[in-house]
Amino acid sequence: MATKNKIVRKPTTPNSPEQTRLWLMYPPKLIKQPFIWEVGHKFKVVTNIRQASVNDEIGIVCLELDGKRADVKAAIKWLEKQGVNVEPVEISAIAG
Amino acid sequence: MKALKCRECGREYPLHATHVCEFDFGPLEVAYDYAKIKKSLTREVIQSRPKSMWRYRELLPVANDPTVGTQAGFTPLVKADRLAKQLGIRELYIKNDTVNYPTLSFKDRVVSVALSRAKELGFTTVACASTGNLANSVAAQAASAGLKCYVFIPSDLEQGKIINSLVYGAHVIGIKGHYDEVNRLCAEIAGKFGWAFVNVNMRPYYAEGSKSMAYEIIEQLGWRIPDHTIVPMASGSLLTKIQKGYQEFTKLGLVGESKYSIHGAQATGCSPISAAQKAGLDFFKPVKPDTIAKSLAIGTPADGFYALKVMKETAAHADDVTDDEIRDAIKRLAETEGIFAETAGGVTVGVAKKLIASGKIPKDSSAVICVTGNGLKTLEAMTGHVGKPREIKPSLREFEAMLAQEEKVNA
Repeated sequence: MATKNKIVRKPTTPNSPEQTRLWLMYPPKLIKQPFIWEVGHKFKVVTNIRQASVNDEIGIVCLELDGKRADVKAAIKWLEKQGVNVEPVEISAIAG
Repeated sequence: MKALKCRECGREYPLHATHVCEFDFGPLEVAYDYAKIKKSLTREVIQSRPKSMWRYRELLPVANDPTVGTQAGFTPLVKADRLAKQLGIRELYIKNDTVNYPTLSFKDRVVSVALSRAKELGFTTVACASTGNLANSVAAQAASAGLKCYVFIPSDLEQGKIINSLVYGAHVIGIKGHYDEVNRLCAEIAGKFGWAFVNVNMRPYYAEGSKSMAYEIIEQLGWRIPDHTIVPMASGSLLTKIQKGYQEFTKLGLVGESKYSIHGAQATGCSPISAAQKAGLDFFKPVKPDTIAKSLAIGTPADGFYALKVMKETAAHADDVTDDEIRDAIKRLAETEGIFAETAGGVTVGVAKKLIASGKIPKDSSAVICVTGNGLKTLEAMTGHVGKPREIKPSLREFEAMLAQEEKVNA
């Protein structure tokens, strides 16, 4: 059942394939922005929405990003720069 | 254990080390065969077993007998009459996890489940990312189980907390960077290395350990559910699991149907869930934490949405307290009941005081306050706030003079 012996650990490079699962949280003033469309055009990443909930107070989107590691990282950085809160799907990986 | 089940869409998954639904990325939770459990788990069977959280093992997610943390839990439920009098409530109890075994916090419950299950699944390396209690418990229990252990911490953590993990021989890695970046890196590491990351890929099992607190409260109260339970909220997971624990015991007929409320407590400096509850919202807005209650400082709580739902379902309230109110509450609990809690305990006692004073918890009801960690772990929060010892020369006359003066002041 455990996968401990099956994993072959290759060193991670900017070209390593990366698939990451994220929660994006938009503050009210950014809810109307088409960031997901933009991120797909600005960076070589595939965007795949799995869940979304938008109201007057907050926009929450569960997004899968697929691409080369460097592109995925750059896309996340760009989203954060626009004012979107980006968390891993696990959210609080750091506990008390 | 029957399966892992998505909390959003209900899809079922095998009982592996996995934590999100492949379809909607919803969190997975352990599902049980209650009809089967009902046939064998009775009050008498439970009472015949050793006094640890594992006396309820049919309702905890392990396939065989536990192998790690077998002595965790069954902490005292203290009848807190002196504190009850001060807060103005008829019947009050403290569920005292400040003396949990082995590392003096509630986390010993969840970690003993996560590591027992990790061993069953064949893992030899365990890991966690933590700012305190979780790291201590994983490091200690991994050491006693002979597991290799990696602990990830933000690099600017206090020395005391680092020593508390290093002493057990854990590999402690300080990560430099902003909290969000550290958080994402830890999620990545958990995904890549195939270790048992207790609060990531082992999360469905880990979180179930919290239910033992609810079972113990019911049993120690003489097989009844308190009218009110006040629970600290970081990710919000504990609050949801207390409800699951109460519901399971009711479903199994171990306790009669009753009406109860499960209230949530946060620090004002990190109160996304309580702010949402007070505003009547069913979602929270992320915040940047700034509070002395570091063990509760999670700005984007993973179970915030579900905690809000539980409070709504149980007609409960949330509130938050400032750093000064937290210190006052720590002192109040220590002076009335002789229990020294960490800052999270101050949060819970402080919020209980507010909810009783405002009538949200009626004065003629029964309440249990969950105190989840020991004050010795957050000494820095109280430094300079509890006075100083007075010094005298080794002379009886000087002592008598000091005492006389004190009596004059107190007269």
